[in-house]
Amino acid sequence: MTAELPVVLLVDDERHILSALRRSLRREGYQILTANSAEGALETLAEQKVDLVVSDQKMPGANGIALFAELERSGARVPRVLLTGWPEEIPAGELRKAGVTALLPKPWDDAQLKSTLRSCLAGSA
Amino acid sequence: MAAGERTRSEQAALRVLIVEPPEEEAARQPGGVLDVASALRRLGREIQLEVHREPAVALRAMAGGHADLAVLDQALGDRFWSLLDAAGSAAAPALVVVRASDEAFALEAYRAGAADCVRVGSEFGDLLPIAALEQLRRVRHIRSKGAAARLGKRVDDLKRYNEHIIQNMNSALVVIDPGARVAYANPRAERVLGAEPGELEDEDVRRWFPGLPPEEILPLRTLEDGHRFRGAEMVLTRLDGALIPIGLSCSPLVDSEGVREGAVAIFQDLTEIKQLQRQVLQTEKMASIGQLAAGVAHEINNPMGFIHANLCQLSEYLDDLQKVWDRVDGLRTAARRERIDGDEVRRAAADLEAMIGEVDAAFLLNDFGTAIRESLEGSGRIREIVRDLRAFSHQDTTQRAPTDVNRALDSTAHIVWTMMRHSVVLTKHYEELPPVSCFPVQLQQVFMNLLVNAYQAIEARAEQEELRGEIQLHTEVQGEEVVVRVSDNGTGIDPQVLGRIFDPFFTTKQVGVGTGLGLSTSFNLVQQQGGSLHVDSEPGRGTTFEVRLPLGEEGDP
Ligand SMILES: Nc1ncnc2c1ncn2[C@@H]1O[C@H](COP(=O)(O)OP(=O)(O)O)[C@@H](O)[C@H]1O
Ligand SMILES: [Mg+2]
Repeated sequence: MTAELPVVLLVDDERHILSALRRSLRREGYQILTANSAEGALETLAEQKVDLVVSDQKMPGANGIALFAELERSGARVPRVLLTGWPEEIPAGELRKAGVTALLPKPWDDAQLKSTLRSCLAGSA
Repeated sequence: MAAGERTRSEQAALRVLIVEPPEEEAARQPGGVLDVASALRRLGREIQLEVHREPAVALRAMAGGHADLAVLDQALGDRFWSLLDAAGSAAAPALVVVRASDEAFALEAYRAGAADCVRVGSEFGDLLPIAALEQLRRVRHIRSKGAAARLGKRVDDLKRYNEHIIQNMNSALVVIDPGARVAYANPRAERVLGAEPGELEDEDVRRWFPGLPPEEILPLRTLEDGHRFRGAEMVLTRLDGALIPIGLSCSPLVDSEGVREGAVAIFQDLTEIKQLQRQVLQTEKMASIGQLAAGVAHEINNPMGFIHANLCQLSEYLDDLQKVWDRVDGLRTAARRERIDGDEVRRAAADLEAMIGEVDAAFLLNDFGTAIRESLEGSGRIREIVRDLRAFSHQDTTQRAPTDVNRALDSTAHIVWTMMRHSVVLTKHYEELPPVSCFPVQLQQVFMNLLVNAYQAIEARAEQEELRGEIQLHTEVQGEEVVVRVSDNGTGIDPQVLGRIFDPFFTTKQVGVGTGLGLSTSFNLVQQQGGSLHVDSEPGRGTTFEVRLPLGEEGDP
């Protein structure tokens, strides 16, 4: 059964953010994976099929946009959601180049988080 | 000034060249040339007489061109005409002494250029000196209008030029007489002092520095011992009582013999410059507050993010647990009946069981605790940030206070570190320090500038090569000073620009990133506290900034 659940990869260097996101998505019926860096996320993505990536922008090492840009370069089609408190600081051009599907504010609104993820998954299906 | 000029040309002696005829008695006759000589001599030193006996010498003297008047005697005979010619070419008017009534000779002399002819040995014998004087008067007149006029024009031009400069120069200029009174003040000086045109004349300069002992009034010291000052700063009291900062230069005024006859003071109103300086300080402060705010916002935002999400979840958990509680209530009601209905109790218990399973109550209870613990940790982090911030906001910036430099450094580093924790390892080595009397907020501003620079240098180097960013904080006591070092392993500073990094607006950073004000402001802030700021850097290796603060009360103003 679990094999059929959409796989969502959460990426954030802040452990408590991952834990809070997991809490928020508890009832959404996803299989949830986590990574605490862009590098870790790329490893997971190389190992298994992922249906959606949600990543924080500001992280040590590569940031969220860099992670998504890397996915874009490697031709991955997985939808990606960027979590950031300062969306206006990221130029639209970069968002496009990194193939960002949706932006989510931080702190996020639970309902908005859920509906955004749902529509991202529906769009890619 | 024009009067002085006239005096000079009047005083310059007029040279009269007299050529004595061979017959001595003729010369001695009343009205003869020697008579003229003695008459002219009586006029005093205004007239310089040159009496020649040798016509050949007289000719040479005439050719020298220095004579203002030549007195020639008909009795000179053959030499008369060549002497008259010579007078003509030397542009000296010739006064001719005519013997007896010889109209033909006089006419001839006039034709040859004689200025006047006077017959001697007549009843008008006294005429010769009078005629000579008349000629001299003319010469004098012509001179004052000619040569003097030419010279005068140059002097006038120069004077106008100088006057123009002095009148229109951007600095106030005041000439002070030995009695410390104003002999001259240019319009700018009047404006700076808030005086009407001419109002400053004769004013005692001590009035501009009320309350200052004379030895601290720089122009007085210049008057006293000829001391020169350049770019000294003083506070001047305007005529309306307002105080303004001035930049002042004083030099002694000496006459052509080198005798001191007063002082010249040149000064600028520094009000605007000071205001600009304050604005620069303010800009810097705003810039550092901006950087600070960005760092703080980022750091608060993360815990805010999960606390907010957790609260939303906890309220959902509560709803679910409420459902379980409702079933618990149902069971209690069934169990409290007087006559217990076994079926009802069993049904209620099954309901409860089902609900516990449905909402996964075990997980909820467990995760409830976890969410609260994590949130508390987040709120603790925010509380710390706020405490650090309070150090910035809640202090009097104008008062010195005994300050724990370690704490000031640490709380600042903590705030700034929030924006660099992703790329920098911070190591601390704090020695125990006695409290230092200083302006704590300003000190923190300095630390912040140094930390932000260190961070930016690390970021810049990390763009070029793989780098584990490191900032080291170090404090210690050295003799009578507290030493704080902030070291980084960033880009380092090119020796060519090392000498300029403390200059205002010097920056190697992009527009929007660097203001170029951080270090110049920090330098001033540290200096204000009686301390000093030093740099040591090696390109490609890193940079260390060192703040030295005096211990104890010596630093107090
Ligand atoms: N720690 C450092 N490492 C390397 N360069 C530095 C460091 N601190 C200051 N500098 C140099 O000094 C210049 C002036 O610094 P500052 O006055 O703070 O202005 P800004 O940081 O806005 O450029 C910087 O642009 C940089 O070139
Ligand atoms: Mg700076």
